[in-house]
Amino acid sequence: MSGSGLRIAGDTHVGKVRSANEDALIVEPRLGLYAVLDGMGGANAGDVASQMARDAIREHVQQRRGALPPRKLLEAAIQAGSKTVYTGAQADRERHGMGTTVVACLVVDGTHLVVGHVGDSRAYLLRRGRLQALTRDHTIVEELVDRGLLSAEDAERHPYKNVLSRNLGSRPQTRVELAELELAAGDRILLCSDGLYGYASTEAIQYVLGSGDDPDQVCRDLIELALRGGGGDNVSTIVIETPQAPPTSTQVVRTTGASAWWQRRQRFLAVAKERGLTRSPMVRGLDPKEALELIALSLCQAVYHDLEKSTGVNVWTFAQNLAGGWFERGGGWAAVRGLIDILGMSAHAVVDEVRAADAKLGFLLDVAVSRALVVAELALGGLLAERLRQVDTDLIELQTLNEALEAPADELAETGERFVERPTIPFLQPERPVTNPGVSSEVLDGIHKTLTIARARTSPRGELVKQVLVALDAIASESGGSFATAVLSARELYGVRSVDDAGVQPLFDALDQARILTASSVHQLPASELTRARVLRAISTAHQRLVGATTGLVLEAVAPLSERLRGVQARTGELRDRVARAEQRRADLERRSATIVDPSLPWGARGTTEW
Amino acid sequence: MSDTDLVASVRVLRDEVLDTAEHGGREPPGAEVFDAVLRALTVGGESVPGLDQVLHDAVARRLAWGDGEEVVLADAEAVFDRLMFAVERAFRDPADQMVVIEAATLVAVTVARVVSLAAVARAARDRAARLREEMAQRQLQEVLEKQQATIAHLEAELKRGFR
Repeated sequence: MSGSGLRIAGDTHVGKVRSANEDALIVEPRLGLYAVLDGMGGANAGDVASQMARDAIREHVQQRRGALPPRKLLEAAIQAGSKTVYTGAQADRERHGMGTTVVACLVVDGTHLVVGHVGDSRAYLLRRGRLQALTRDHTIVEELVDRGLLSAEDAERHPYKNVLSRNLGSRPQTRVELAELELAAGDRILLCSDGLYGYASTEAIQYVLGSGDDPDQVCRDLIELALRGGGGDNVSTIVIETPQAPPTSTQVVRTTGASAWWQRRQRFLAVAKERGLTRSPMVRGLDPKEALELIALSLCQAVYHDLEKSTGVNVWTFAQNLAGGWFERGGGWAAVRGLIDILGMSAHAVVDEVRAADAKLGFLLDVAVSRALVVAELALGGLLAERLRQVDTDLIELQTLNEALEAPADELAETGERFVERPTIPFLQPERPVTNPGVSSEVLDGIHKTLTIARARTSPRGELVKQVLVALDAIASESGGSFATAVLSARELYGVRSVDDAGVQPLFDALDQARILTASSVHQLPASELTRARVLRAISTAHQRLVGATTGLVLEAVAPLSERLRGVQARTGELRDRVARAEQRRADLERRSATIVDPSLPWGARGTTEW
Repeated sequence: MSDTDLVASVRVLRDEVLDTAEHGGREPPGAEVFDAVLRALTVGGESVPGLDQVLHDAVARRLAWGDGEEVVLADAEAVFDRLMFAVERAFRDPADQMVVIEAATLVAVTVARVVSLAAVARAARDRAARLREEMAQRQLQEVLEKQQATIAHLEAELKRGFR
């Protein structure tokens, strides 16, 4: 769909939990009007509210276009929507209380944008790869934060976090917040309901919106993202894209270089193999073909995607994951250096071959490859700096410990403040090698390898899944899947999360994803079927312990809420009793008051009932 | 072993896994977990459509009968552990063992998810109930203040009347 050279797409999905879709969309390129509405209200009135408002807004813009300036027009249209929903709610008892949010925009001449919103549906702008919000949620908590009555941290855990402070339908008139914007070439505007940002991180939304795919595909991907995040609500998206500026010469160089590189990936794999990639200690235990795919092909993909999108994030993540995973397993720096050198030399060999045949293409490819290798070196540099900091900390700790051990006993007794933890029981020694009396070294080795393969297969954005896999390694290496280790790991995974679907779902999605990755990775283990079965059993037991401990933490987080409710209910009970007692006292006093004789009245008494 | 044979072979382990000698054969604790494993084996694959729903219903039923979430989890863990032992003993072919282990892990993760989400849903209901209670308290407080004012007024009037 297009209007004024814009590319536009809109899509909506009922989600995984709700039975009806209460969202509504307006996509009217002819009017330049686009909107997402998210209905609410019992007795199936949410969808009625959003549809009523949708029709009213569209009709209003259609009829008054040209008569009012765009800002006034959009505000009046949204007010008309509010009035229509309010009237509808008043007319039908079953629809009482229905309402809807709205985020709408008017595109004027394809260059100017007016955004109006009420409630918590949002508009975002993606410009030059940066995502910024154009709207601010109208929730009670946001308003408290704005007034300085609540901190941003407390807002995250506030019980009114999702309670709207305004909507269309609760009153005939509502306050519409408006913003204006000059559009630039290549801008992308996203309108969405809370079903998207409630179940997908801002980073993920930015990534999909900036993917370069056409708006139709972006809408579908965004909805898929929300569904993978739990899909607990209806999800609706509209993407508006302004025409792209003509590509600069740098972009042409990058794009051509990226294509040339991708076409020569098999040659790169072959050269890397010749130069000894498959003999690197970092891929020991892996099948040569698999090692090539895991290392060389992943680098190829990362280079290609980075060049296409003019970023370095994929190569950066590749290098960090590769070296980070190796260091975590106790690997040394030399092996990483050796592997990066092999990859670099192989890449330059491919570039030289191309340059010999076609100088211009060779130059483009050289730009592409050199850029990627610089990013990889920088990523490793960052990792090394981190390691050096860790070494510094360890050395300082060791020095402090040595000083404490060397200090005379009477001095320690005098001060009485310095307690040194000496390893007195063999199994409490920190340097004790990890052994599992119930599992053979072969199975232990299999556990590590399986989880390493699974980690390598995790997408760069699957940080939580990687954490789960590291936790499984720790738990499965203990005897019988130690519950204590599982609880500690679960605490690390759980971190600080809100006690709602949006907080808990991603955690269980990651646990499930780790299960699938582990089950498929164990089949690639170079071992007998029996060993694989034992490895799978150990990891599955660890998995069961980890999900059990995680659920325990959820129950622990939920318990205070029930406690608090019981406390509040008790207080309400007390108040009810006090009201009942006061009522009795009032009635008693009224009776007594009614029987008092008032000599000033001719009939000798006052009051009504007793007389 | 074919899928059908495998399911039949696992079904044979029911008494052992659910410890029916201790709990009786009718509705032993964790029966829903064992049934879910059988369902997962029957359907096969990485994820089983409808498994969430079936376990959700079963867990909701147990919670409705008064079992706590911790009890449901503990039963699931006991069934998982007994199944692991029984499978290693009962199946000679490691490939068969692996299929059952994968299904059991899928069910373990799903039970945990269902129990967690049930707890989270309960928390949401509690939050809403608390808001309602707090609103009711505000209204009761207002009523009480009015009553107290009326009582004070009536008491003053009575004093005047008796004078």
